[in-house]
Amino acid sequence: MLLLICLGFSTMVLFCMAMEKHRQQVINSEVPQYLSNSFRPMAWLLLVITFYMSGDLYGWSIGPAVFFGALTAALLALILLLTYKAEVVPLLAIILPLAAISNFYL
Amino acid sequence: MKDNFRQSMKWLHTWVGLAVGWVLFFMFLTGTLGYFYQEITRWMEPERPLVAHHYSNEKLIDIAQNYYDKHGAGDIEWDIILPTVRDNNLRVGWREPRKEGEKRSRYKVKVIDIDTASKVQTRETQGGRLLYRMHYRLHYLSTSLSYWIVGFCTMLMLLALITGVVIHKKIFSDFFTFRAKKGLPGWLDIHNVLSVIALPFHFMITYSGLLFFLFTYMVLSTDLQTNEEQYKEMRKEIYPRAAHIKSIGEAQDMLPISTLYQQVKNTNTWKADELSYVSVSAQNDINAQVAFVRHETDITYNPQDTVVVNGITGEIITQAALEYTTAGMIHNGLFSLHEGQFAGTIARWLYFFTGLIGTAMIASGLVLWTTKRKPQQLKKPKGPDFGYRLVEQLNIGTLIGLPIAIAMYFYANRLLPLTMADRANWEAHVMFISWALLLVYPAFRPKTKAWSEQLNLATVVFIFMPILNALTTNKHLGITLSHGDWQYAGFDLTMLVIGLTFAFAGVKFKKAQRNKRSQRVNSKGRPLNINTAVESELVLNKENRGAL
Amino acid sequence: MSFLVNKFSFTNPRWHVFSRIIAAIFGGYASATASSLFISLLLQPIAGKYQAIHIGLMLTFFVYACAVMWVFTVTSASRAWLGLFKFNAFLLIGTWLLLQVNS
Repeated sequence: MLLLICLGFSTMVLFCMAMEKHRQQVINSEVPQYLSNSFRPMAWLLLVITFYMSGDLYGWSIGPAVFFGALTAALLALILLLTYKAEVVPLLAIILPLAAISNFYL
Repeated sequence: MKDNFRQSMKWLHTWVGLAVGWVLFFMFLTGTLGYFYQEITRWMEPERPLVAHHYSNEKLIDIAQNYYDKHGAGDIEWDIILPTVRDNNLRVGWREPRKEGEKRSRYKVKVIDIDTASKVQTRETQGGRLLYRMHYRLHYLSTSLSYWIVGFCTMLMLLALITGVVIHKKIFSDFFTFRAKKGLPGWLDIHNVLSVIALPFHFMITYSGLLFFLFTYMVLSTDLQTNEEQYKEMRKEIYPRAAHIKSIGEAQDMLPISTLYQQVKNTNTWKADELSYVSVSAQNDINAQVAFVRHETDITYNPQDTVVVNGITGEIITQAALEYTTAGMIHNGLFSLHEGQFAGTIARWLYFFTGLIGTAMIASGLVLWTTKRKPQQLKKPKGPDFGYRLVEQLNIGTLIGLPIAIAMYFYANRLLPLTMADRANWEAHVMFISWALLLVYPAFRPKTKAWSEQLNLATVVFIFMPILNALTTNKHLGITLSHGDWQYAGFDLTMLVIGLTFAFAGVKFKKAQRNKRSQRVNSKGRPLNINTAVESELVLNKENRGAL
Repeated sequence: MSFLVNKFSFTNPRWHVFSRIIAAIFGGYASATASSLFISLLLQPIAGKYQAIHIGLMLTFFVYACAVMWVFTVTSASRAWLGLFKFNAFLLIGTWLLLQVNS
């Protein structure tokens, strides 16, 4: 479950970075155009992966319900962080899923 | 109705929310608590023993069967409810013979102390179940009237959701927006964020809620299309049930149930401790059957969840799997999603938090309505309008008052004398009496004072609850935590967390009041901080031109 | 006295809102019921009698919601009533035609 929440978190961060208004909240420096254009497709890909993992881990009837729950938790955390501590966000987006995946598979 | 579509929808969203917002808040709050109704009941019956050891299922079944043989009402149908993660006491249940004047015989559940193999005498209480049942049956009203009121409110909730999505046209670009520090946009952003992050849940819970009483609400349509017999057939198709086993009247001894269970285990792929309850039909009759049921594993029906065994010979009876039509599967699947019976611990907490998000969404909408109108209302020559004052009073009394009232329900459980007559009903009376008081007294206080007072009261009442538990029972947190009784300790800890949340809210509220006062004092001349004032003006004008 | 007359005279715009509310609640319910009859007859050859009725019933809530939303969008209350009558008439005639076809 924590794995799903962390993956969901990174997905949402990627969606967020795809939008200029929010990207400026998070990163102060300029991001090259090709990189910022890739955020949205990467985000969709990660979303599909997260959905597949919930189905895989929890079965295909409970999985989708759990998927939405994990996204809700991730979104809540992200929005609170964005408001109060935006600098931490990109770092967490990279560390959290890596930590969760390594914890899960090792 | 208004100039354009979005404005009409905005009007509709506002009025639909305002018409029944407080009832919806009540339904969402009690319903959310309902996800943990077994744990709440555990706390409300502190006489239940702490369970320290783990007996095998067979031993537990034996203890239960011995108890039933000694004390059973001679009824031929009874159940053994085994300890689960949510309730670690062994329980035995059966239908008492029907008393005079009652429509149906009552199903009584008795908690069995594993060590002494006797019944635990718990205090008379309706526990957490009453809270969750209130969420669709209300209280003090007849069942059918409640169903109609609840249905009307849920229909308006569905309207509010749909219109909300329609008017929030920047739903994706504003997905992550939460302007926390600037008054009015703050509450609107909170309302938007809370609605959007759990939107699938909100739609699911509302629509599935309506489906629960589908045949009650659409009575005209079903009457026009089916006669009485066809109606019964249709219901059987939509809600299939296994056939009811009746006793024939020929006595025959059954095998001990634990023996039957062992045979089931040998021929089955169940994991060792998955057994959830055992249902005995036609006890000691030639037709005896014992059903071993494990915890629900799925949103949709899983026939492997039940194994039925012939009570005399022990052979497994293969039951015809219940047939579901596609529409029936969707319908019952939505029931499953709404009730969340399948949910394990983490999923259940997710349900709880998402339910709280829904509750907070409704609350933020109600507060938003007053916050938006406050400046112009305060400027009115005779003071604010009646409608505005009424809404503010209802807000204070419900948004803070109802949680306090529910806490009073728990306090009553601990403080009412155990031998009091009609004790279970009086716990509920205490809850509603305190709610009524909290609704009425803000009329006599200046509103900001009323808000702070209720926030402070909520803080005190919730934080004190574990202490109350320690004073009135012998199972305070030190004991329950060291025994690993997570249902009991979890309740105490959750109350603490809720109290701290109210404390946080109270502090924030006081800070906001102090800021407003200093702004007002300084706005006589020039705003204290020109930058923030100008900036907030620009923000309000530019970004909200379309969104509000 | 004139205050009361003003409050209750039919030129008060509040009556239009009230009229729409009545149209939405009762006319909407009528539309929901009529649509469930229509849909269930439409689906009967495909889904079998009981499932068709079931599907029709489950969809009524959305029809009801859309009807209510529509009532508050049109330019006047009378248009709302008229529109609801037309919609219900269409559904009921359609239902009757389907009944003839099916039997």
